[in-house]
Amino acid sequence: MARSSAYDPHMPARRPGGKPEQAPRYRVLVHRRYLDHYEELVGRVGIKQARQFWDHVAQDPGNPDPIASTCFLRGQAGRPKSPGWSRTIHYEVSSSARIDYQYHDAYTTEPDGDLHPVVAILTINYSSH
Amino acid sequence: MGMILPVILATADTMADVIFQPTDLASKRLEFLEAARNGQARLRDKDGTSFVMLPESRLRLLETLAKWWQAYMRLESLLRRSELPKARELGELAWLRSFAREDLDEFVSELHDALVAANADEDTTALDDCIKGWRTTARQLEDPLRRAILLAPHVPEDYVEASEPDGPE
Repeated sequence: MARSSAYDPHMPARRPGGKPEQAPRYRVLVHRRYLDHYEELVGRVGIKQARQFWDHVAQDPGNPDPIASTCFLRGQAGRPKSPGWSRTIHYEVSSSARIDYQYHDAYTTEPDGDLHPVVAILTINYSSH
Repeated sequence: MGMILPVILATADTMADVIFQPTDLASKRLEFLEAARNGQARLRDKDGTSFVMLPESRLRLLETLAKWWQAYMRLESLLRRSELPKARELGELAWLRSFAREDLDEFVSELHDALVAANADEDTTALDDCIKGWRTTARQLEDPLRRAILLAPHVPEDYVEASEPDGPE
């Protein structure tokens, strides 16, 4: 079966900055409409905060970050997009950079595909409140 | 106001029976301050006016609860109608205008639970979390693209691997 998505589950996502101290548990995806925003992340917030975000979502996306502020979005925007997905988490990378994501502990793109944990970045917002 | 009154009355019920006089401010100031520290110092002036001294944090709690109980009741009343409330009717809550009916009903329900918890705990943490979560969601939904993606079902083809941005340490 031909894969119609640009996402390849066998290709690990890369981390901003150098090599991680631990191998990422979650693969990180980004909505294609926010790919440009994602690629601006280091330029916008600096490598330290970009790495903080990356380490959090790659290792432990379901728990509060010890440094950054997070909350669940409410209402329909906060509901899991389909079975297996988490609620939408709003992560404040900095005062002017916020990312919404959901995570899935056993994601697959094909019926018999390899189950693997992923984080899906839904939106990135660079406007300040 | 039906829900605000019990909050205020519950506070009044905890007041100590001791009523200080103006002259006590000099002769019993330590007792007066200790009672105030516990949120219970009452003083009756010569003309019969009653004053209560309480920690500022407690006053802020009562003000916050009163404000949000009023907001809750106003919104609940507006949502009894079939049409959605307009921004001008929402007043301070106009930031809720980006939500659909289902979300507004959910907000009212969560706000009620948070107010009951804050009242019982004498702490606004649950209420603050509730308001912050909904305000944040409203801001995210203001942008049409963010709104479309946040409200859409998951489509695998919409997602690509995150690339590695480079940058100096």
